[in-house]
Amino acid sequence: MKEITLTNFRCFHTEQRARLAPLTLLVGENSTGKTSLLAMIRAVWDCMRGHTLPNFKEAPFDLGSFEEIAHQQSEGSKPAFAFEINVQADQSSQAEFVFQKEGTIPVPVYIRLAENGSWIEERRDSGMKHLMRVGTHRGTWELPLDFLDKSKILPLLDRRRLISIFLLRGFPSENEEGREPIPVDESPAFSKKDFRLIDGMKLMEYAFTQDRPFASAPVRSNPRRTYDPATPTPDPEGDHIPMLLANLAIDNPGEWKNLKQGLEKFGSSAGIFDEIDVKRFAKSGSAPFQIQVRKYGRKRQKGPKRNLIDVGYGVSQVLPIVTELLLQDVSRMALLQQPEVHLHPSAQAALGSLFCEIAGQGRQLVIETHSDHLMDRVRMDVRDGKTNLKPDDVSILFFERKDLSVQIHSIRLDEEGNIIDAPQSYRRFFMEETRRSLGLF
Amino acid sequence: MCAIVDANVVSEVFGTNPSEAGKRFFLWVENNVNGRLVVGGKLRKELYNSSPKFRKWAQQAQLSGNMRIENEGQINLREEELREASECVSNDPHIIALARASGARLLYSNDKKLRQDFKNLVDGGKIYSTLKTRKFSKSHKTLLAMRDLCRANT
Repeated sequence: MKEITLTNFRCFHTEQRARLAPLTLLVGENSTGKTSLLAMIRAVWDCMRGHTLPNFKEAPFDLGSFEEIAHQQSEGSKPAFAFEINVQADQSSQAEFVFQKEGTIPVPVYIRLAENGSWIEERRDSGMKHLMRVGTHRGTWELPLDFLDKSKILPLLDRRRLISIFLLRGFPSENEEGREPIPVDESPAFSKKDFRLIDGMKLMEYAFTQDRPFASAPVRSNPRRTYDPATPTPDPEGDHIPMLLANLAIDNPGEWKNLKQGLEKFGSSAGIFDEIDVKRFAKSGSAPFQIQVRKYGRKRQKGPKRNLIDVGYGVSQVLPIVTELLLQDVSRMALLQQPEVHLHPSAQAALGSLFCEIAGQGRQLVIETHSDHLMDRVRMDVRDGKTNLKPDDVSILFFERKDLSVQIHSIRLDEEGNIIDAPQSYRRFFMEETRRSLGLF
Repeated sequence: MCAIVDANVVSEVFGTNPSEAGKRFFLWVENNVNGRLVVGGKLRKELYNSSPKFRKWAQQAQLSGNMRIENEGQINLREEELREASECVSNDPHIIALARASGARLLYSNDKKLRQDFKNLVDGGKIYSTLKTRKFSKSHKTLLAMRDLCRANT
């Protein structure tokens, strides 16, 4: 995703535009909508995929019901009737979504995907009737969807449904009566070429070519002295990570070796551990196990192995995030909330370098952070050429509270590591503290 | 970026010899959307060496966008051009070069020769000075109220 625009969503009243880069850092005071943006990015992905409705209460994000999600201007005023999201997926592809209240939850009532002059648009009217239109440079056509079950809330733009309408029912020959696209405004008959233009839109494949974004919780699960084997079900708090490491160590030594190297490289640069291992109490896969780490001395002499629970809390907090980033496919977007919690500043900075490295390999990371050390490391790594990322590959989104709503400022870096397009309010607190500390005026 | 501070007045803005005009200049840099400082090359080293307070302030100011460091290669290139053309009467071609590279049009300096160079060699160059008065005068106020102190879109 290149850009997302929010209107009447949570604390954002007027249209707020956020530039998304390979590495995007969300900064600003508490309760200014950073997590809401992460939640919406995942919801948009779900909308594009189509066949389920976006769940705004799914962990690690819980935005509540429609009343909490739609913007409410002030005490006593009603929440907005609808909220709107626009996404620029790449240079030529845009998606637009409008959500309204259905029962207690927000559901998309309008979706439009557009790419290079072709588009597909679906809406649900107040009577729950689905309407679909498609268009190419040749014309516009309406698709009757009257056969759909009106009693159920169906997600819009389920691509399989679309294909069934066009293809499985015999397109382009004389198919079932009432299923053929109806030309609008003197458009010619819908042709195979029009179908190919619409079906070939990259946006139609968007959610099918990439895994669902990985979203981490702001606090990760507590370490345990000993773990009992269980199915490693993915969890935003990273509860599954120890089991995942144990399984890899036994079942997939090659992948474990690579992951172990990656973890140890990060651990060393962060100064938190130099070795990580899984200690099993028996060879059987059902045996309990422990996660152990070891630090080296200055002359690389080995220290004792220690249980994860016996070392600093920051180690267990960062381990799930680093593991996910090193393991997952590069196409998978990551939405991270305060990955730096409980880490020493030097380890926070090392995390910044890791993010540069991962994003530099083509993976999109969107990170909510309060860490100056992480931010500054990213700035310096980009400036000094220690990463593949170029200044334009980093976006800093500054969330500024303005009266009762929030404004998003898209800030850039330049080749010299300067901050470009920052409003005067950006880092105002730090400037005031510095001025006071130096006794300046 | 908009303004350059010469090392000979840094103590008025950041140091032991504050003036009313220096204070207002500082507040303009910190609080005004048009007030951004630009440093780079030899001047950056001079400022860092002459004022520890500036050095500490600059660290935060770059992160907040209140100060910009200009590309050293660009400054050196322009300084070389100035030296070859023997255009400067002052011994501060690096400051003129910085202004040309960054687009800054306002210079805070009390160096008479540099002020002359800045007016003659920097397109639309303006001088902020405390040679006549250290108080915040009407002319100081007029200079800080200007909106087009940056030629380049930086």
